[in-house]
Amino acid sequence: MSETILTISHLRKDFGSNQVLKDVDFQVEKGDVTCIIGASGSGKSTLLRCINLLETPTSGEILFHGQSILTGKVDQCAYRAKVGMVFQSFNLFNNMTVLENCMVGQTMVLKKGKEEARQAAMLYLERVGMAPYINAKPRQISGGQKQRVAIARALAMDPEILLFDEPTSALDPEMVGEVLSVMTDLAKTGLTMLVVTHEMAFARAVSSKVVFMNDGVILEQGDPESIFTNPKEQRTKEFLSRYING
Amino acid sequence: MNSLPDDFWGWVVYLLRQYGSSFLRGAGTTMLIAVISTAVGCLIGFGVGIVQTTPTDKAHPVKYFLMKLVRFLLDAYVEIFRGTPMMVQAMFIYYGLAQLFNIHLGTMEAALFIVSINTGAYMAETVRGGILSIDPGQTEGAKAIGMTHVQTMNAVILPQALRNIMPQIGNNLIINIKDTCVLSVIGTVELFFATKSVAGAMYTYFEAFTITMVIYFVLTFSCSRLLRLWESKMDGPDSYELYDLATTDTLAHTTGLYSYPKKPRENTQNNDIRDGGR
Repeated sequence: MSETILTISHLRKDFGSNQVLKDVDFQVEKGDVTCIIGASGSGKSTLLRCINLLETPTSGEILFHGQSILTGKVDQCAYRAKVGMVFQSFNLFNNMTVLENCMVGQTMVLKKGKEEARQAAMLYLERVGMAPYINAKPRQISGGQKQRVAIARALAMDPEILLFDEPTSALDPEMVGEVLSVMTDLAKTGLTMLVVTHEMAFARAVSSKVVFMNDGVILEQGDPESIFTNPKEQRTKEFLSRYING
Repeated sequence: MNSLPDDFWGWVVYLLRQYGSSFLRGAGTTMLIAVISTAVGCLIGFGVGIVQTTPTDKAHPVKYFLMKLVRFLLDAYVEIFRGTPMMVQAMFIYYGLAQLFNIHLGTMEAALFIVSINTGAYMAETVRGGILSIDPGQTEGAKAIGMTHVQTMNAVILPQALRNIMPQIGNNLIINIKDTCVLSVIGTVELFFATKSVAGAMYTYFEAFTITMVIYFVLTFSCSRLLRLWESKMDGPDSYELYDLATTDTLAHTTGLYSYPKKPRENTQNNDIRDGGR
């Protein structure tokens, strides 16, 4: 049943003299919903961006189905098409409508026909509740709606794994719920998800695995109940106590 | 019309009657040079701007070196043509080509060539700025769905950059309408040259240039209004039609309160937690 999609070993990323990721090892199995939690600046987003090659790791290895993606031989674009990403700031294409946003990758990258792409886009837009808004431009819809379109855009590429980089951090509290409920539904479909988040309730309820990052390393990982109710490391306890008490 | 007029307006009317077609032909030539050169200049500008903003990859030393060389040459082009007067460039190129290469351009071809490369030099910087002004998130969004640099530029970045630099393109067109008058130094018969000929015939400088002032203003003003119209057309409608009016956004929580199901992972059979079994 379990098949390893991503293997990350000894991953390190420096920005100048600043070591953001020091030595990160972990694996993502097919169907896993992994939440990465930790304080701001602990390297969570950088880790996600390294996985999608938006940043080039300084050293270490990332294996996708056992094959390294860091050697020059791998087609980065083809790899990225299989690894979806949802950004904190949505990054919808401002010059396109909601529908076009969800079609452009399918027609340009996957070389699908227009009609086929439209149908797939509609399917996913319906799933995130944005089908009525297909003719709107990104500037005309709310933040929560933008993020749901961004999720549909990523899903339309039929990715093997979907990365979420703090998908609700740029939203005001009223809109967090609509995005999280879409993500909760997605988790139930068996999609492999890797989520960087500050929504502890979501991490606890939805994830199958929680990774706690601190200062560029993974300090602790395990199933959500054991991390949240019985953290082993002192730093994890401190971090979680702030969320539980505050 | 046997006797010559004796007041200002009389002369204006006289010149229009007598030389109206000269003014019109001059204005036509001016517009032709301005419009074609602005268009060609934009193409040059986009070409140069795109090269200047293409990311270089140090992993391929030969490509990297070539890219650096091309960029240096393009930089030199931009700096030289921005940094010298167009009137001097016109003389330099027109007489230089004839003397050094024995190429004798017609005054019209020379005019088109000179104004185009001049506009190109200005547009190159404008386009570069336009591309850099687009939020890097747009590029990341495109990369994340597997688009190549070329696809990203064509589908996402350039359409947005073009919209942002439209006012600047309009600016260049207006500058070109006015600045074609310097081409009179190489004998291009545009509006200024035509006016000078008309004025010289009867020493009616003030009257003739009054007419020309009005013509230049009408040309530039109507161009600027037309471009405004085009811009608002590019922006598209301010509102949008809901695709299916019966459906509204059922997911938007008005209260923002959302309680998590206790154990959703064990609950995969039951998909109706939120949406009522839709």
